[in-house]
Amino acid sequence: MFSEEELKEIEKKRREWEEGTLKKTLQRFKAAESPNTYYSPLDVKEFDFLKDVGFPGDYPYTAGKYASQAPGAGPAVGGGHSLSGGGLVRAGRYSGYGTAADTAEYYSTMISYGRAPGLNLALDLPTQCGYDSDAPEARGEVGKTGVAIDTFRDWEILYEPFRGIAEIDKINSAWTINPESNTLVAMYVALAKKRGVPLDKLRCTPQNDNLKEYVSRGTQIWPVAHQMRLTRDTIVWAAKEMPHLHPVSVCGHHPREAGATRAQVLGFSLSSAIAYVQLGLDAGLDIDAIGPLMSFNDLSGTMEMLKEVAVLRAARRMWARIMKERFGAKDQRSLIYRDVGGCTMGHDNCVKQRPLNNVMRATIGGVAEALAGYIPSCYPPYDEALGLGHSMEAIQLEQDAARIIMYEARLCDVLDPLAGSYYVEYLTDKYEKEAFAIIDQIDKMGGMAAAVDSGWVSRELAKAAYEKQMAIENGETTIVGLNKFTGEHELDISINRVVPDPYDPEKRARAEEEQLANLAKVKKERDNEKVQASLKRLEEIARDESANTIPGLVECVEAYATIGEMSSIFTKVFGRYEEPEL
Amino acid sequence: MKEKIKVLVAKPGLDGHERGARVLTLGLRGEGLDVVYTGLRRTPEEIVERAIKEEVDVIACSILSGAHKELLPRVVDLAKKKGLEKVLIMAGGNIPNEDIPFLEEKGIDVVFDQGSTIKEIANWIRENVKS
Repeated sequence: MFSEEELKEIEKKRREWEEGTLKKTLQRFKAAESPNTYYSPLDVKEFDFLKDVGFPGDYPYTAGKYASQAPGAGPAVGGGHSLSGGGLVRAGRYSGYGTAADTAEYYSTMISYGRAPGLNLALDLPTQCGYDSDAPEARGEVGKTGVAIDTFRDWEILYEPFRGIAEIDKINSAWTINPESNTLVAMYVALAKKRGVPLDKLRCTPQNDNLKEYVSRGTQIWPVAHQMRLTRDTIVWAAKEMPHLHPVSVCGHHPREAGATRAQVLGFSLSSAIAYVQLGLDAGLDIDAIGPLMSFNDLSGTMEMLKEVAVLRAARRMWARIMKERFGAKDQRSLIYRDVGGCTMGHDNCVKQRPLNNVMRATIGGVAEALAGYIPSCYPPYDEALGLGHSMEAIQLEQDAARIIMYEARLCDVLDPLAGSYYVEYLTDKYEKEAFAIIDQIDKMGGMAAAVDSGWVSRELAKAAYEKQMAIENGETTIVGLNKFTGEHELDISINRVVPDPYDPEKRARAEEEQLANLAKVKKERDNEKVQASLKRLEEIARDESANTIPGLVECVEAYATIGEMSSIFTKVFGRYEEPEL
Repeated sequence: MKEKIKVLVAKPGLDGHERGARVLTLGLRGEGLDVVYTGLRRTPEEIVERAIKEEVDVIACSILSGAHKELLPRVVDLAKKKGLEKVLIMAGGNIPNEDIPFLEEKGIDVVFDQGSTIKEIANWIRENVKS
């Protein structure tokens, strides 16, 4: 960007400034050193616009994964109701609770409000961990963190609102599930078969980023190597049968919430993505058959907004470089860091003390996203830290904050507006470099699966989380109202959580009992011989490492086998994962 | 008498949020306490068994899944049934303020919610463990 001569001149001026203007100011305020820093071309000497940034939608995608963000932005009018998403049409809202009928009723309401159809399903922990609602481990957890799915019957009920203009070949489904991903894919296949919808029309994304489960989210069931085989099955199934199935959604979000630093979140999540791509290659797929299937969730974040903008820019550029340089991908669609963005303030920065302050925090996160080229999301709602579920008022504030960023502040009018900022380009380079060093380290350990299996990643995250906590306790990190600016005269603010919750708390309370009755009824009505025969075939398939488990799961699902029954077959063949000691 | 106070950091139920439990484990060790961590997804039975085996003074349950009202009283009841009357049972995680009196009534000795520091927790343990 600058010639050597120019850089020399800038360096000279910088020294003069430090010894002159800056020194004088510091002396005046009797400060030993400046609390601020200042960046110049000296910090990005090698900067090359075309090589490092380029135009949006072009390699290396630093400026944006698409040439324009407008197609996703939705109409600026309409959707007056806070839950209809007016003006902010993004992926479906993360939702689901109670029984399938409770969640279906919620979706029917959302559709009647004009919310763009599509769902981003939250599942309860028994379903995510492969337990039926009637398992002893499920007591007290049924329908809590999401909807309970035991059998295909629940799935049929759940998808009942999605008919006609919202038929399953017209909507996008995302399911926040990991080890049990293939079971839900099988349920979607069974549903499509029943409704006469061709499989190649189904658009869906199970989360299926299992490597991060072992280290940061905790729904892992089987040993790492066996789990990787199941993930391979999803990737191969997508490549061969369901071109719009994104077999994994790589989530940096969870390692970050578990304490990862910025370099670690990039290093760990891109190393996981590399491991998944490798699964496809090892199964004989072409890199450009795998690349377009890859998808990414968000990276969570912190309140240090400019640093987070740099992380998001670095993620796009790193993935493009990995796919092109490491794997030799040629198709443009293989190079795109296909992420949803969102949640840039990070859930872990949402605190219980003076909870309305969380609105400001989430808004800063939304500003970071807008500046990094996303439709802003000021997620999570401010009452995140107060318990499960968000009040309608909190959701309205969250969505309106994003609308204000977009339509009043107009921060989305320009793509990558910080491109060329000496500081932001410096940070983007810095995080890329640090993260590639972590990826190299993981490669040397034998890849992400080996790094996870050895317990190294968990220990690194525990250490990073501990250091973050210590920084809060010793005051190095400031959290207003928590460790600083507190006192005896705390205002007693009552938070209005009684605004009708989108999820009916009464229904949530009786969900466990109802779901137990639903499950008992299915077990009574189904053809148990058919169930046993399908489970037996699933076991044979599980034992044959070269076989794909999805067709076997479809057969079990169609016989109304339970998630627990299918899961137990895998446990019988694969064993269970043992967590390393901390 | 044991030289060091021994704590079992426990994750009851299916909740996978492990950050708090990990930080508490490392943090209390840093405070000079002897700490064992159960790992994820333990039943109340497994937690109490481990507490007996390790001869701990404190069971610190971390839970963020919303199942605290079901699971924590079960840990308390089992601990009492197994003769662990002297063992302190603490809770933390994401526990709404309105649920705290319920848990205390059910025999949870203390709830440390968000924003609690390792120091506060360690001090509370030192002051309350009956020697």
